Amino acid sequence: MRYDSITEAIGNTPLVRIDPSVHGLRNIDLFAKLEMLNPFGSVKDRPAWHMARPHLEDAAGGDGTVVELSSGNTAKALALLAGMHGLKFKSVTNRMRVPEIKELLLLLGAEIEELPGQSECLDPTDTDDPLTRFHQALSEPGSTYLHTDQYFNPRNVEAHAAGTGPEIVKDLDGRVPDWFVACVGTAGSSTGVARVLREHDGDVRVLGLVADKSDFIPGIRTIDEVHQVGLFDPATYDALAPVTSQQAIDGMVTLIRRCGLLSGPTGGAAYQGAVRHLTSVDAELDGTGRRQTAVFIVCDRAESYLSYVRQRRPELLGRPRRGHSPSSLSGDEIRAEGRAVDIDGARRWIAEGEPRPLVVDLRGPHAYAALHIEGSVNIVDELFEELVRPGLPFSKRTPVLLACPVGEKSLRYAALLSRMGHPDVRSLAGGIVAWRDAGAPLVRE
Amino acid sequence: MRDAPLYLRPRADPPLASLLENAPFLHSLVDALGSPLNVLLPDVVARNAERFLAVYRRHHLAGRVYFAHKANRSSALVRRLAACDPAAVGIDVASLEELRHALGCGFTGDRVMATGPKDPEFLWLAATVGATVNLDSVAELDQLAGLVRQYGSARTHVLVRLSGFESDAGPGGAGTRVLSRRSRFGTPVAEADELWAALERHADSVELVGLAYHLDTTGLEEKGRALERCVLLMDECRARGLAPRAVDIGGGFGVGYVEDAGEWERWTTALSEAVLGIRPPLTWGGHGYGLRNEAGTVRGTAALYPAHRTTAGPGYLDELLSRPAPVLGRAPATLLLEHLHDLYIEPGRALVDQCGLSLARVLEVRPMGDDPGRYLVRLGMNAGDVSLEEHGVLVDPVLLPRGGPQHEATDGRADHGADDSVDDSAHDSADGGPVGVHLVGNLCLEGDLITRRLVFLPRLPQVGDLLAFVNTAGYVMDFHAHHAQRQPVARTVAVTEDGGTWRWCPDENYWPITHPQGVPS
Repeated sequence: MRYDSITEAIGNTPLVRIDPSVHGLRNIDLFAKLEMLNPFGSVKDRPAWHMARPHLEDAAGGDGTVVELSSGNTAKALALLAGMHGLKFKSVTNRMRVPEIKELLLLLGAEIEELPGQSECLDPTDTDDPLTRFHQALSEPGSTYLHTDQYFNPRNVEAHAAGTGPEIVKDLDGRVPDWFVACVGTAGSSTGVARVLREHDGDVRVLGLVADKSDFIPGIRTIDEVHQVGLFDPATYDALAPVTSQQAIDGMVTLIRRCGLLSGPTGGAAYQGAVRHLTSVDAELDGTGRRQTAVFIVCDRAESYLSYVRQRRPELLGRPRRGHSPSSLSGDEIRAEGRAVDIDGARRWIAEGEPRPLVVDLRGPHAYAALHIEGSVNIVDELFEELVRPGLPFSKRTPVLLACPVGEKSLRYAALLSRMGHPDVRSLAGGIVAWRDAGAPLVRE
Repeated sequence: MRDAPLYLRPRADPPLASLLENAPFLHSLVDALGSPLNVLLPDVVARNAERFLAVYRRHHLAGRVYFAHKANRSSALVRRLAACDPAAVGIDVASLEELRHALGCGFTGDRVMATGPKDPEFLWLAATVGATVNLDSVAELDQLAGLVRQYGSARTHVLVRLSGFESDAGPGGAGTRVLSRRSRFGTPVAEADELWAALERHADSVELVGLAYHLDTTGLEEKGRALERCVLLMDECRARGLAPRAVDIGGGFGVGYVEDAGEWERWTTALSEAVLGIRPPLTWGGHGYGLRNEAGTVRGTAALYPAHRTTAGPGYLDELLSRPAPVLGRAPATLLLEHLHDLYIEPGRALVDQCGLSLARVLEVRPMGDDPGRYLVRLGMNAGDVSLEEHGVLVDPVLLPRGGPQHEATDGRADHGADDSVDDSAHDSADGGPVGVHLVGNLCLEGDLITRRLVFLPRLPQVGDLLAFVNTAGYVMDFHAHHAQRQPVARTVAVTEDGGTWRWCPDENYWPITHPQGVPS
């Protein structure tokens, strides 16, 4: 397939049937609309392009900045689209909660502004909330901001009414599914698709999924937050149901490990919410001989959510690492095998030792540069841990004095190195803090 | 059928929880001392300080916890803290009178930090008693140095309060820009050079002991960035020959007022729905706490204190110290420790968490004309006596029936002579179950509502019952109390538990060695 612009590759995503042995529904065919296969990686490619296109064509090459409240896929798509048109992109967000996405946006050239947290010493009469200020900045005279306004812009809905919805009907041979399941973020995809499906067949049922209120699922709003979305109309949905991040990850793992679909947590939430809701429907269909069809959206891909998964389900990623590690030693073993030397002893050892010890400072490089024991070398603890994992990083003939802030970490490593066969490694008792408190000299670079 | 009651029940840990169970004791206090009445548990403030210090120990950090005195005017709390380890517990005073009070309660000058706007008398006394002065600006530094020279005080220890971390370009690598609320306090980081020069100019009269910031935010990200920036600036100071050793990260660690996350979530969801008109108002006059309905969409930000917190106080400090800093990549606790810096904190609200309650007598109970299912409950206090609304704190009071929960219906009426016929009919219609009430105060003023929120109580209160507002020691109890209309200002008592018996004394008579009501035999 040949294109003149990557934007032509937006849309026309596959509709893939989920194997019934995976979801267990006997009377319902469940299909995944793979929006993750859009060129910039998500369902947001459609509205981002549709909303930004008029701005971009007018402003191409100027000094404008596309701006949007987004911490995820819309920002990603807009950053790429702005870049293609020689414009800047700025994302304003409450909090970047997924570190990989933050870094990805920076790679794409986005500027990110994070809004302040809630006031701790609250003044209820202060109406100057950060979003109000944001909107004021947009409407200032001479502003070159191009605000796509995804939560209120009808073009967000239109992108799906013109694309996603009709594609689903076409791929089901002109039939409308009995069920459409979508996670509610900006409400753009659910509203746009639901509109088209209802125009074809008023009997379609639409299930909207929201994040459980105390929980966080990327791209999905909680029941309170959807009320703040201009495009959200409760009448769009036959039902709204909450999903938790744990359910989202369950769904994501099922789609990845059993269906070959590299879905992120949002798609996982849609799958898990769909199966949960349809299970009781399926039971009612038993014996009636009727079959139904359901479609859910796989919003984006898994790769950007590793830290999200690690935080909530470390066992899905964790495998114990091999080699020598200080965490393998118990407190008793550290006390039994780790040798320490007090400040006076250490000073004599450094001055008169035969041979003199190699002094290793395990603190961070900035702290080391600020103040350290003269002649010491700096190997920050994280690096030292990697250095000792495969084996001793220095000769057994070189005595070693390890120093850390209070002598705890250094004792742990002293015990580990002794266990690895080093005959003379000692920890500076009380660490650099005790060294300073004893009035021993420290130098700066 | 009405909805299930939207409770926001308070978190009450022991010993506050056991005090609340002793309704006869609390009733006897109000009988003797009048309504409203503030009750403090001085031992809890010492326990809270210990909890913050446990976080220090976990991270091997040295330094001090300074109580932000402005959170409460009490003597008992300050005297109890004065009896804690002098090396670990100090006090942060923000006025001349707070300084005098702290000194009179037993704090020596070296344990005192003077903060906030300072007049010359405050500066002079702080310098004279050897307090550490937390400087707001170069002008204040000039003024302090002038006083020290003129009156021959010893070289005064100073911290400098920094601000404007948001617009500070700083060292690269952080990637994103974190916006912060504008503050009227502190010297912008961008003007730090001028500050260092002034400190060097006044080196004969002041000694820089550290850098300080206080950001009014619950956001860990903002605070983490400011903390790291201070560590980097400490190095800048050292390179110039100054020798600061402490980073003061201010307060704002937060308190969880509401026990149950589900109750808080249900209530805030219901507020959005009420603003949209999907459900009846939850507030007096449909007040939206900053939320408004624009064409079916909720706009604005709820000006509410996050009353349910999963981490607050010492837990919040632990989290702040543990998450990696954006530029250097190491946790702030590690940075402080590795750079050999001490940590100062100034908790107010969080240090007096669970330290007290405010009691009010029920004076009148009356059904609302337009909605017979709801009641007006008038209390022997006004909004100034429990300034919940002033701080956006939403939490239910605890109902303490006159005769104790076991014989609530008849005893209350017997004691008060059943002189209120309205109360009778009210009780009949409420059928003893949960009921929504509006709590109104004792001022002749439309706006004197204890809270604008419709409060659900497990049953309709009767005249003579008490309502206990729990956990009011931080900013809620006496911060806004006033003498308008010559209504009485609450008396304050300190209570201690001794072998299951509660004893009390007036706040001003409490000393850490006091055995209220005599030495136990």
